[in-house]
Amino acid sequence: MNSILEAKNLSFSWGESPVFTEVGFDIQPRQIVAIVGVNGAGKSTLMKCLNRILAPSSGSVVINSKDVSKMPLLELAKQVSYVPQSVSTSFPLDVYDVVMLGRRPYISWRISDGDRAFVSDTISLFDLEDFAFRRFDQLSGGERQRVIIAKAVAQNPSLFLLDEPTSDLDLKNQIMVMKSIRKLVDNKENNCSALIAIHDLNMAARFADSILMLHDGKMKAFGPPEEVFSKKNISEVFGVTSELISSTDSAPMRIHILDIPNDESAGN
Amino acid sequence: MESITERHVQNGHVQIVIMLAIASATILMGLFAMGVGSSVQLDKVLTLKIILGISEADSLQSDIIWQLRFPRILMAITCGVALATAGALMQGCLGNPLVSPLTLGVASGASLGAALAIVFGLHVTDFLDPLLNSGPLEKLDFGSIGIVVNAFFFSLIVVAIIIQLGRMRSISAESYILVGIAITFICGAIVSTIQYFASDAEISQLTHWSFGSLSRPDLGQTIWIAALITALMPVAIVFAWDLNSMALGGDDFAISTGVDPQITRVGILVLSAGMTSIVIAFTGLIGFVGLAAPHMTRLVIGNDYRKLLPCSAVTGAFLVLLADTIGRTIFAPIIIPVGVMLSVIGGPFFMYLLLANRGVSH
Repeated sequence: MNSILEAKNLSFSWGESPVFTEVGFDIQPRQIVAIVGVNGAGKSTLMKCLNRILAPSSGSVVINSKDVSKMPLLELAKQVSYVPQSVSTSFPLDVYDVVMLGRRPYISWRISDGDRAFVSDTISLFDLEDFAFRRFDQLSGGERQRVIIAKAVAQNPSLFLLDEPTSDLDLKNQIMVMKSIRKLVDNKENNCSALIAIHDLNMAARFADSILMLHDGKMKAFGPPEEVFSKKNISEVFGVTSELISSTDSAPMRIHILDIPNDESAGN
Repeated sequence: MESITERHVQNGHVQIVIMLAIASATILMGLFAMGVGSSVQLDKVLTLKIILGISEADSLQSDIIWQLRFPRILMAITCGVALATAGALMQGCLGNPLVSPLTLGVASGASLGAALAIVFGLHVTDFLDPLLNSGPLEKLDFGSIGIVVNAFFFSLIVVAIIIQLGRMRSISAESYILVGIAITFICGAIVSTIQYFASDAEISQLTHWSFGSLSRPDLGQTIWIAALITALMPVAIVFAWDLNSMALGGDDFAISTGVDPQITRVGILVLSAGMTSIVIAFTGLIGFVGLAAPHMTRLVIGNDYRKLLPCSAVTGAFLVLLADTIGRTIFAPIIIPVGVMLSVIGGPFFMYLLLANRGVSH
């Protein structure tokens, strides 16, 4: 089966200072890939390079066998939808109209009945009916995040790029958001995949099929969670010691973060 | 219970009704304003009859109505439409509620042009004349509108600067605003210097220019300005979807919905600076409506640019017409300049709307 996304030899630098070099991976249909790494490892930057928000300094990105750099932005928006870490706004719309922006790539001017039906269904899917005509800025962080993800879903893309979708959320909302993404990707009709930048390794192990580990501007590891999350990798990348509990039929693998090794923590 | 789909459709209908209501109020206000004036032989009823073709007008009455009052009212409407639309466009594409059509320095460019014409007699038309006299435009008389052409030309310099900025890589919305403020300071300094060399009469003329007045363009010119602005309105409305994306979530969010914010922003800024230039070259400085009309509209109709743009336009028209009509009548026969009137009446009303909408905390 064809990959949804193929990234080859991607590099990016701000002026002279490189953020990451030679990153290459692919994403199969109905897969969730989680990007992990420390702050500043280039998770967000990598995501923006896939979506043409930033132009990679070298390498190529191919989505559904089409070169992203040659695609018109409107066409790209039908293939990929991006959910930024947070959206703050001076000019808030009603929730319904925010989700409607996801239909923007398909609308020239008039909103068709089909677009409206799609938006209404998406709003129900994310349990947002009660907020549908509230202003976006009057929602809580978790509700806003759900609205922006719903907008991404309304775009009906092949690939979701989610930049730390759970970072501002409480525990219940974190699981709700991750579950809804898993449900979307598992749905055979959609034939879509997701790439998620995330800090919580346990969330990554639980919901992702593959883990992409970034370290020092390089791809440290790429593969299934059991392979990538070794004590050695976790210690080298995050600088912490850990204890691993393998997955069972009923539970995903668990990672217990223990401590910072002595020589680093106390200073002198 | 109605579905959210139905409710969304219904909300759209309500917004259209609100827009039509403001437009009707503007038309009624326009008809009323046609009847307002100092002429004793033309009361409101007779004016209305003449406009509707029920009564015959003598040539003086006809001149007062069609040569004096009508251009002024058409200009008020055009000016309100243009400035309010430009303000809404600029606020959205720069993601900043403090922005007005004058933020980018268009007005200070125009002031500089006017000052050069009034004090030093430096007219752009003098340089254009030799070029034009040889061509088919030979008969065009620029002399009578020298100040206007100057003001327009110098405000176009601002448009040129915007286009140049747009060519630079990754220029942010804030950069445009800061450059606009810089232009305002530079032009302001030059105008002050020019005033230093000016005679009392020239300073008085310059001050008078800066008040803003709707009576400067004659009927022919007004019709041209109105036609131009009318032609540009659909272009503005085409940007509505892109503006919704940009205004809601900024550049990254806009790209994710298929909008190129850099190119779109330059397009919108050039359009709004152009609309502003066309109007203020003739009227002088009328600023407040461009800030206030879009915000008043946002309070009533929300931030959806598909509705906000046309609705701001009619609200702007209503405000300018109202301010001018009050300015003409309140101390008649003295006429208070429309720019002054707009700020005096509009300012407190605008503040009230903003604060009342916030409610009281604690």
